[in-house]
Amino acid sequence: MSAYLFNRVAQALFVLWAAFTISFVLLQAMPGDAILIKFQNPDLGLTAEEVAEIRASYAVDSSVPMQYARTIGKFLAGNFGYSVQAGVPVSSLLAAHLPATLKLAGLGFLLAAILATVIAFLSSLAPFAWLRGALQSVPSLFISIPTFWLGIMLIQIFSFRLKLVPVINPGPWQELILPVATLAVPISAPLAQVLVRNIDEVMTRPFVAVARAKGATRLWVLWRHVAKNALLPTLTIAGVLFGELIAGAVVTETVFGLNGIGGLTERAVGSQDAAVLQAIVVLSALAFVIINLAVDLLYPVLDPRLRTKTGAVA
Amino acid sequence: MTTKLKRLALTLATLATTGLALSDAQAQAADPVKGGTLIYLEQQAHTNLYPPAGGFYPNGGILNQITDKLTYQNPKTLEIEPWIAESWTVNANATEYTFKIRPGVTFSDGSPLDAAAVAKNYDVFGLGNKALKQPVSEVINNYERSEVVDPLTVKFYFKKPSPGFLQGTSVIGSGLVAASTLALPFEELGDATKIIGSGPFVVESETIGKELNLTARDEYNWGPAKLEHQGRAYLDGIKYIITGEDSVRIGALLAGQADFIRQVQAYDEGQVEAQDYQIYAPSTRGVNNSVVFRPDNPLVSDIRVRQALLHATDTKEIVTTLFSANYPQATSIIASSALGYKDISAKLAFDPAKAKALLDEAGWSVAANGLRQKDGKELVLTAYESLPQPQNKETLQLVAQQWGKVGVKLSVLAGDSGSKTVDDLDPLKTPVSPAMVGRADPDVIKSQYYPKNRDVLRQKGGLSDKVQSFVDTKLNGLLDALASEPDRQKRLAIAGEVQDYVVDQAYAIPIFEEPQAYAGAPYVQGVAFEAVGRPSFYSTWLAEH
Repeated sequence: MSAYLFNRVAQALFVLWAAFTISFVLLQAMPGDAILIKFQNPDLGLTAEEVAEIRASYAVDSSVPMQYARTIGKFLAGNFGYSVQAGVPVSSLLAAHLPATLKLAGLGFLLAAILATVIAFLSSLAPFAWLRGALQSVPSLFISIPTFWLGIMLIQIFSFRLKLVPVINPGPWQELILPVATLAVPISAPLAQVLVRNIDEVMTRPFVAVARAKGATRLWVLWRHVAKNALLPTLTIAGVLFGELIAGAVVTETVFGLNGIGGLTERAVGSQDAAVLQAIVVLSALAFVIINLAVDLLYPVLDPRLRTKTGAVA
Repeated sequence: MTTKLKRLALTLATLATTGLALSDAQAQAADPVKGGTLIYLEQQAHTNLYPPAGGFYPNGGILNQITDKLTYQNPKTLEIEPWIAESWTVNANATEYTFKIRPGVTFSDGSPLDAAAVAKNYDVFGLGNKALKQPVSEVINNYERSEVVDPLTVKFYFKKPSPGFLQGTSVIGSGLVAASTLALPFEELGDATKIIGSGPFVVESETIGKELNLTARDEYNWGPAKLEHQGRAYLDGIKYIITGEDSVRIGALLAGQADFIRQVQAYDEGQVEAQDYQIYAPSTRGVNNSVVFRPDNPLVSDIRVRQALLHATDTKEIVTTLFSANYPQATSIIASSALGYKDISAKLAFDPAKAKALLDEAGWSVAANGLRQKDGKELVLTAYESLPQPQNKETLQLVAQQWGKVGVKLSVLAGDSGSKTVDDLDPLKTPVSPAMVGRADPDVIKSQYYPKNRDVLRQKGGLSDKVQSFVDTKLNGLLDALASEPDRQKRLAIAGEVQDYVVDQAYAIPIFEEPQAYAGAPYVQGVAFEAVGRPSFYSTWLAEH
């Protein structure tokens, strides 16, 4: 078990380093940079000499390996540098934006899981074939709704027309209602699809027939026997869904003006704020690695068949 | 005129003004209500609040409430009036300015706003601070040094005549800040709580990229001397909320969730006015929203090609199709409300026949595919849209359609692409560009065209090292003269000359006079704007609602 753990952690560190390096190289390869975008802005009215001096002071024109060494050194020391665009340290930007995204993503994922379970159970239990078919096509509908359109529609209907929730100056929980609903819809779709598939598959297994023959109702079988078995593959895509969550958060936060990592990313991309993007990539990679590690470690807990040979799993 | 007649005229004039004053008084139906917080929705987050960076509207909208300036430019008359400076003297050739500072003014951290503080501000704005990366302000030309004559008298010396300096002391980029703010490196000035001014409002808190809270300063008693309103601001506070989505800003205002918003697109004005809400569209009084050429690019180096494209542009169609009455059609390269404006609309006529003839004359003939060609090269031009300008993409696309009718192709590229900033410096990649800048002084023309300032034409020795050879010494000479001619009448004459010259050379195609468009709820009273359209909430109050 400890060897397995050590292996996994080493892998995780490698993934982090690779994410850092690749993003660094890509950001360097892009034409232009944050300094150029910010200081060439004619509103500042700087002369070419002044811009050159500013560039020198930021050392953006030194060699790429030098900059790489300097940046990775700073990162290891926990110093993410300054945001050129916002004029504040990146760490304070992250501290200001992270809580909103964690709340949004956490609640969004929870609501998506509930939605997906409800869709999957209903589509398995529904009495008529046409109704089952209709329910099974809900995920396809959900995944094809553009997030920004859904967000704007929810605002127009629930906030401006019905005046149920304010979008301007809302309370700390009020402000999450519409964005969480917006985010949960596209996230629930793949979850529901996998659940539906797995339930269908498990339903064909012999033990289900045995349980039914003993007189168990469909719902009982679904709840007591099938659900647990169907959950495992669903857990696997949870890690993949994390990417969807981040992408969805960018759009949702931008539409709702929430102050999260998504909106921050969008602004940083627009201004090529390399220090901010670099920190966000590393942060995302870290979250990704942790989620996958947690999923891998949860597997044996949920599935007794995996416990005997953990050492062999790489 | 006989004495009797004179007296009669005087009486009539007096009566007329009394009548005006009366109707004004009736308009001001009620006494201003004190208290309340204004909810203000801003499209973009502020970037950096170093005062000279206040040109960016989200920055200016904040700086205008928290900083005071030496002088106040009356937005109606454009005259310069006392504010932090009680009075001033200028020597004959505009190289020495002496200001008397109003006593008793303090910054919000308690430090005095005296001659020494003013000198410290202008030394940074005029010379920059290399160690702290603070750049020079674009409104201050030829600055040499300051001298503190006595605690309330400060004198500035200039290397060359700088007639634009007096107006320069009234603009958003000349807000006075405390020594503690000037001691910070440029990259830390994005934090609004560190900007200590002497203005009617103080930054209380900010959530970066989301909201900013201002509170009124109780002891504030040094607003512009000639304003009717003196003393503390009426509002208790202002809450700025960043709401990037156009539809959400408008919807929130009309649904009663906000009081005042910035950036209303022309196509949304109707639904705002239909509900008795008010559109405010103060002019930016500067260089009009235009399309400019980079003559260093061989495709547009021939004056006949540029003139052809100028006459192929139907600005009337652009204004009537995309905009509203708040966006007047341009009649010169600067707005009709700008200082030194000269009507040269005759030179800007839409004349496709003339455009075709000029292109033929320049050797560009129409090929089988409908595009003009010369020596195997097609006349295909590129422009990047400018995100801050209203409906700029649509404007450029309409220009492209109009140019297409005379056989010239204009490709419009997205304004948020990473390559924009780099390509825009290269005339070969970006021969055409949208441009505008606002400032209520003839110097604004220099800001726009001078190679050491914004350099929109991309001259050699300017902002870009990609320029091969293009330099227009005549234009630069005129701009230099414009910025250093101490005699007001002569200076305005030069401004007229520059307008003629830029259009004669067809360097720019002015399209419309750009306003800043805001919308406010009917109960929001007393919103004022500085000369270039940035809001001032000092005299704003919220009526019962």
